[in-house]
Amino acid sequence: MTIFVLLSIPLLACGLTAFMRSRQWMETIHLVSAAGSFITALLLAAEVLRQGPVSGKSGFLYADHLSALVALLTAFVYLVCAPYAIGYLRHDESAGTLALNGGHRAALGKLRMYYTLTPLFAFCMFLVVVANNLGVMWIAIEGTTLASIFLVMFYGRPTSLEAAWKYAMIGSVGLSMALFGTVLTYYSAHQVLGVDSVSALNWSVLVLQAPHFDKRVMRLAFILILLGFGTKAGLAPIHTWKPDAYCEAPVPVAALMATAVLNCAIYGLARFYVLTVRCLGPAFASNLLILFGLLSVGVAVPFILVQRSSRRLLAYSSIDHGGIMALGLGFGGVLGILGMLLHMTFHTVVKPLLFLSVGNVQQHTGSDALRKGAGGLVHVLPISAPMFLLGALAVTGTPPFSMFQSEFMVLRAGFAGQHLAVSILLVACLVGIFCGFFHHVTQLVLGPPSGAPREPVCRWKTYPVIGLALLVITMGFWLPAPLYQLVNGAARILAVTQ
Amino acid sequence: MHFWQDSQFGNRMITLMAAIVLVLQIMMVTQRWLITNIRAFALQSFLLACIATTIAYYNNAPHIYAAAVFMLLVKAILLPVVFERLVTKIEIRQEIEPLINAPISVIVTGLLTLLAYVVAEYFHRPDEPMGPASLGHNTLAVAIALFLIGFFMMVNRRKALTQVLALLSLENGIFLAAISLTYGMPMIVEVGIFFDVLVAGMVLAILVYRIRETFDSMDVSRLSRLKG
Repeated sequence: MTIFVLLSIPLLACGLTAFMRSRQWMETIHLVSAAGSFITALLLAAEVLRQGPVSGKSGFLYADHLSALVALLTAFVYLVCAPYAIGYLRHDESAGTLALNGGHRAALGKLRMYYTLTPLFAFCMFLVVVANNLGVMWIAIEGTTLASIFLVMFYGRPTSLEAAWKYAMIGSVGLSMALFGTVLTYYSAHQVLGVDSVSALNWSVLVLQAPHFDKRVMRLAFILILLGFGTKAGLAPIHTWKPDAYCEAPVPVAALMATAVLNCAIYGLARFYVLTVRCLGPAFASNLLILFGLLSVGVAVPFILVQRSSRRLLAYSSIDHGGIMALGLGFGGVLGILGMLLHMTFHTVVKPLLFLSVGNVQQHTGSDALRKGAGGLVHVLPISAPMFLLGALAVTGTPPFSMFQSEFMVLRAGFAGQHLAVSILLVACLVGIFCGFFHHVTQLVLGPPSGAPREPVCRWKTYPVIGLALLVITMGFWLPAPLYQLVNGAARILAVTQ
Repeated sequence: MHFWQDSQFGNRMITLMAAIVLVLQIMMVTQRWLITNIRAFALQSFLLACIATTIAYYNNAPHIYAAAVFMLLVKAILLPVVFERLVTKIEIRQEIEPLINAPISVIVTGLLTLLAYVVAEYFHRPDEPMGPASLGHNTLAVAIALFLIGFFMMVNRRKALTQVLALLSLENGIFLAAISLTYGMPMIVEVGIFFDVLVAGMVLAILVYRIRETFDSMDVSRLSRLKG
């Protein structure tokens, strides 16, 4: 029931705003749907904690600890971005960047597009995590791409079109590989489970039968799935769409893509990882995940070091963190998987802070350039700029912030699993990324005042940033016990042996 | 026994149609005109719908009929019509201008087909005479070939619309693999996938239109301003 409500709230909001003419109403519905989704996700998490996996609609919908955790994280980002988006879009509207050569009507059309597609985007992400059927999960992941293509080309600039095209094509090709992988998984399963039973692609059924699957087919299936969902997660070498899409999409959408979509893709990967490990043993999947994970972290380093745009900087940081999650999953064991899930949780809290504060900087100064004489932003944006610095400290894994703990845990899992060379390379890359981030961010934020006018404080755009910053600081010292239980439960699902 | 009851006959028909599907795919790689390309794709999708119907008939698998109907409606009729309208509406030059010339493309395609047969061999089980695997041997090779050639076409093309066609023909390969290996996916998945394909086709058509309007060209190699 809770699952059903979770799915219907954003869908309802999408349907309602599609016919709205008043901006006020669209904003209200957006806020209500975000708050409603978050509360429902909390209720779902509580239900899962109380009574274990929940299923509905005769096994079609299914939520265990892992689903509840990812749903909660998605709903959290959706909630944080909702009030911010209102301020952000109002600013765009008054600055006239929403519709370049249209009037009020064109701008309203753009607003309606945003407030319709974002809930649809959220709905697809919720469906990814509560769909039991792996085929439906694939459909929902493809749905997230389709719902967000128009959001990426929101501003209609030539560069936005370019970003949207790359995003659409690379995303679709990647996901077609994942579909092939899903077909092959079904093939390797249906010899055990029989043809044409609706439940034959249900994860909760498959996981019990996985040891009897056809091993050769499953091996090929996992490679295709890893390439496919890896594309969606932005793992190297198929990460090239990511910086473009993140720097062209509106900031709240970029924040959703950088955290919630990444989580969903890793979630899909994790579900197949469990099947593969149970079928083939841990070595095969682990080696592939470690390869792709390390490659992603490695690719991010040079691009972060020479980066010129703050939005692209964040995109490469997101590639890096996707890589760390893949590494955590690859190192395996209770430690690696717990580290990966905690990393996912902390990343979901920290990354929106960075995106939202960069959005404030970009809207005030009109550019996301990192060099070109920019500096001293702390005098111009007395709230957003220090928060950006704080977020940068947190995201690079500086103690005492929480991401230090999770990165450390992944590293410990690497050392414990005898992956000595990989772990040392990972440390080197993390140090490189830290240096790159600090070089850029301190140059941007600190420095003598440039004489630019101060930012007028917009409550919609400032309070989410402050709230997130408080949460980031708090989470460095204290993780709520129920959340930890949820993460722990999810880790138990993923930490399987043959 | 009448031929329409003989499953051997059905298998032969399926193999024949799969062969034509592969020939159409190779034709799409080499020929030069955009409209012909769209029609070849429509014909390919139609043949796949026929294959699905044949499999459904000879194996008493009624849910594959649904897949065949969706294939026919979405990929053989609706999307080709939309694309042809798009082509006439935006008045683009009709030639395709691949990056690699036709003779070399054919050689590459041949090699990819060979590779597909090698991969399909991996699935072959001589000890299991009945069931999809025996049918799948040739058909699966064709499916994998469609998939690989689709990839090659995407890389080899400059124009946005031809890339979309390559993507859709690549998905045709997955459809063929699904029906030849497992007699299709569960119904709900099948419906969802076709819905996704339909939406993706529409969305991409809009994108192509916008690219053409903004850049005055469909050449995606012009989309190269975002770097680093």
